[in-house]
Amino acid sequence: MPNFQRIRSLLFYLSLFLFITGLPFIIAFSLGYKFNARTFKFSKTGLIYVKTQPEGARIYLNGKLMPENTPASIYELVSGVYKIVLELPGHYPWKGEVDVEAGRALRLDKIILFPLRPDLQQLNREKFSTFRIDAEKRMIYYLDQEGKVVYRSDLDGINFVDCASLPDKFAQITGWGISADKKKMFIFSLHQIGVVFFDAEADHDYSDAAILLDYPKEKIIDVFWHSDNYHLIVLTNKHVGVIESRPRAVPVNLVSLNNEEAYAFYDAKEDALYFSDGQKGPGGVFYNNLYKLRLNTDLYLLGIIRKKANE
Amino acid sequence: MNRTVFLKRILEIIPGGLSWGIIITLVLLSILHPVASAIVIITFDFYWIIRTVYLTTLLILAHHRLAEEKNRDWIRSCLELPADKDFKRMYQLIIFPVYSEGLEVLRPSLTSLSASNYLKENFIVVMAFEERNPASRKIAAILEKEFGSRFGAYLSTFHPDGLLQESRTKGANATWAAKAAKGYIDSKNIAYDHVIVSCFDADTCVDREYFGCLSYHFLTSDKPHQASYQPMPVYNNNIWQAPSFARLIEISSSFCQLIESMRLEKFVTFSSHSMSFKTLVEIDYWPTNMISDDSVIYWKGYLHYNGDYRVIPLYITVSMDVAYSSNILRTMVVQYKQKRRWAWGVENFPFVVEGFIKNKNIPVFKKIRRSFHLLESHVTWAVWAVILAVIGYLPVFFGGAFFNQTAIAYNLPKIAGLLFKSTILTSLIWIFLSWTILPKRPKGVSWLKNIVLVLEWFFVPFIILIIGSFPAIDAQTRLMFARYMEFNPTLKGNRVV
Repeated sequence: MPNFQRIRSLLFYLSLFLFITGLPFIIAFSLGYKFNARTFKFSKTGLIYVKTQPEGARIYLNGKLMPENTPASIYELVSGVYKIVLELPGHYPWKGEVDVEAGRALRLDKIILFPLRPDLQQLNREKFSTFRIDAEKRMIYYLDQEGKVVYRSDLDGINFVDCASLPDKFAQITGWGISADKKKMFIFSLHQIGVVFFDAEADHDYSDAAILLDYPKEKIIDVFWHSDNYHLIVLTNKHVGVIESRPRAVPVNLVSLNNEEAYAFYDAKEDALYFSDGQKGPGGVFYNNLYKLRLNTDLYLLGIIRKKANE
Repeated sequence: MNRTVFLKRILEIIPGGLSWGIIITLVLLSILHPVASAIVIITFDFYWIIRTVYLTTLLILAHHRLAEEKNRDWIRSCLELPADKDFKRMYQLIIFPVYSEGLEVLRPSLTSLSASNYLKENFIVVMAFEERNPASRKIAAILEKEFGSRFGAYLSTFHPDGLLQESRTKGANATWAAKAAKGYIDSKNIAYDHVIVSCFDADTCVDREYFGCLSYHFLTSDKPHQASYQPMPVYNNNIWQAPSFARLIEISSSFCQLIESMRLEKFVTFSSHSMSFKTLVEIDYWPTNMISDDSVIYWKGYLHYNGDYRVIPLYITVSMDVAYSSNILRTMVVQYKQKRRWAWGVENFPFVVEGFIKNKNIPVFKKIRRSFHLLESHVTWAVWAVILAVIGYLPVFFGGAFFNQTAIAYNLPKIAGLLFKSTILTSLIWIFLSWTILPKRPKGVSWLKNIVLVLEWFFVPFIILIIGSFPAIDAQTRLMFARYMEFNPTLKGNRVV
């Protein structure tokens, strides 16, 4: 029977020897040192880590092809500037200069190699002047001002259909917006708002014909859908107001503005309007303030409208 | 607080203090000086790779030895011994301390004992029940009726509850039983040095050649009374029925014991073991107030014989139950508690060091070496998994942008990856070896279980976290704060408990 204790002792001392002799090299390597067997000295080096998307690109370092493709680590580089070229067939090469520092790892891990023939796809089937993608990123809406038509398709351009006709009276559309329920859209010009119902949706409450809401004495700057898909939040050069999307609706002015060039952002999730307006300060200087108008209580909003209508 | 109590408390604090000190220092170092922390972690990773390869090689050697000696005809070997080493005059005192185990656990243990290839008339079997268990008298009567006539002597003892200077431990019960057996041995005028005592867990099923192997080693060893005899515990009784989680842990425990059997200078008794009855009486039996009676009995012998006491490995198996429960969560709890009880073996450290301080005959170098081994093994147990699985990633996490651009920050995960690869390699060896120690697949267990047995090894990293460090940290922290553990036996059974 073999002497197991002797074998074990041998194994133990061998392991100890490996640990004691290997550890300095492991630590030195981890810290970025390179051991020179000729001079028997350690010298501090740096390293480059290259990762590309897609992977598998050839790496040229100062014109020399490296044995590994990306992702790869290039160790034991003395400090200095290196030229790197990354090549992948069918893709644009990536070229760059990097500064390698001793004891440091330079990570080039956000490189995208773009294909030579990009994956380009035409989505529209008809001419259009502007487009919009809905908040849920499901549909694309195309607006053809000249032909007064609205088209709709999914994100790959499939199911491209004519979904609404714009009223003839509208000369120049300044802006437009799709309601969250995807049943209608508004368009607006300087003095008029139009609400257009999509062809496929005939279940709206009032009319399937376009509704026109006039603002003859004010200049419309921006319009937003309220989350109830019925009220429109209207920013003019004089007021912030609300109007129902029904024929002969009366606008309700909620805030009077000092500044004729107000800017607004509507948070449809919160039903809050952020808008800027000027204020005259001491010495006649005008200051811009940013306001937040909460419109998230339907009852509150309706209450104001009713009150104003009664007045 | 008198000097002795103060010293004891200091010694109780040292293992936990060291473990916590290492963990906290490394965490702080990761925050304050991530480069230094990374160097320490890489050193530890490298140490662990070499250690894993070294221990796996020892496991292969031990396994080879087990395979070689498993089928040996030990009785024939005994018969070939000179006349002055006649094994027939040797008596086997076998004590089964029983806590609340039922017939389904005890019957297989006694059946395996009665199937032993040994002189049954030389068996003195003691079923050591706890009086506080109301069912014990009834179980004792049934077993006595079934097995009483199969051995030379069969005793049932009932350990009274609440004796002075006793805790509710297995050792207290075993000691009570051994004292009762001493009465019997005295009455039969049997010389103590002709009696080998084996203290078995209640679920221990011995190999039929166990007592032949034990007698052979006892009779052929130099100073047989100055040694304990340690069989290799395997958990084969219900291994095919046990869930992967529990099975893996127990296989790993068996392997750890096999590895330990190759490191004789560190080898300590564990679980079921045997020793000279003469020595047991001389060293005043098992401790009655310590949970880790199985290892403390070795240290008592070591101190009594001034360091000239050893554990002789027996490359023969004793099979026990895998501890598991009705669902994975409960099994985890059962396993956690069992491992915490094993980790409570850290109580040996104050016991041993106090003994070393009192004993002036053991060479100082030996004292330092053994104390260091004991302390190192417990501290390593408590910290290794935490360092590898948690602290290893902290320098990168806390290091910030500057550190993360250094070469060492880049190389740290690479070294950890190397460690992981070496672990996979050694795991493959462990998988193969685990297959070879498995009992035959019982009828009714699907062959698909063979595949499960291989795939389950992928749970190892998760299991390491659960039972790797936490039970040991828990046990050491309790000892630090003098929150002494009560004996909490692992509920076992061939069926789900």
